[in-house]
Amino acid sequence: MNKKQKIVATIGIIFIVIVLIIWQAQGGETLTKTQVLIDKTTDLDRMLGVENKQYVDRYVLGILPSGTGSVYEILSASTLSGFVVVLSGVLIYLFRNKKKETK
Amino acid sequence: MKKTLSIFAVIMIFTAAIFSQGFKVKATGEQTFNFADERGRNQATFFSTTPLEDITGLSNEVKGSVTFSVSDVKTLKGKISVPVSSIKTGIDMRDGHMRSPAWLNAESFPEISFEIKKVNDVKSVADNKITVKVIGDFTLHGVTKEVVADATLTFLDESEQTKMRAPGDLLGVQAKFNVKLSDYGVNNKIVGQKVAENIEVSVNIVGNNAK
Repeated sequence: MNKKQKIVATIGIIFIVIVLIIWQAQGGETLTKTQVLIDKTTDLDRMLGVENKQYVDRYVLGILPSGTGSVYEILSASTLSGFVVVLSGVLIYLFRNKKKETK
Repeated sequence: MKKTLSIFAVIMIFTAAIFSQGFKVKATGEQTFNFADERGRNQATFFSTTPLEDITGLSNEVKGSVTFSVSDVKTLKGKISVPVSSIKTGIDMRDGHMRSPAWLNAESFPEISFEIKKVNDVKSVADNKITVKVIGDFTLHGVTKEVVADATLTFLDESEQTKMRAPGDLLGVQAKFNVKLSDYGVNNKIVGQKVAENIEVSVNIVGNNAK
């Protein structure tokens, strides 16, 4: 591995580690979510013995994509990591070829 | 003689407290509570847990009403329903799967409902709070089966605080029961076995009796 290839591999690994840390920090969800449940129970609700939860728009990165309807649904820890692996692979290959041509 | 009467009176009060089957509130007679809430605070949820994922389905479009005599909760009758199209799970694609003909089939069976048939095991927790077992017909996916729900009913007399939610007295209902999907012809394997066979259904609703 030459210097450029090592830089690409290192950046790729760091990016994947960051994505995995973000995924874990957001709860380690299986599927990417575009809405999450929020507790909106009021004092009056508690007096009435009921709870009130509502779905609100919030993005949570999952390990797997939740759909194909939008970019947000497609994005996930696995798709981002996979994209980085492919991109890094292509760049490492290209840098290897350039090195051979210069010889 | 006086002592005997006192003991009798105490026993009568104690017995009445134990077997009390109604609320001790200002309202009297038969009351009807409507659960329509334009702000979507009334809700019905289902919860599915599997090793792969926990799913909470939520509808904020609960409608229906109940009628009962304040002094006797055993007279409770009514129906609560939820449009299938209103259930959200936090993932649009999954919501689409859930409403599709392969699953809940929202087009053919647009409504999930619970119709109260009988009330048992009435226990007074406080003057305005009662726990009961509600026996009713639960309809899902066009199939109706009898289920038993554990419910807590809380009655609040009208006050400045309750008026902020709705006019009239308020009745809070929290109820839970379990449903086996295959009993209702719903195949949980359609969505990649991500849904449990047994799901917990719960209802958190507040109704008012203003006419």
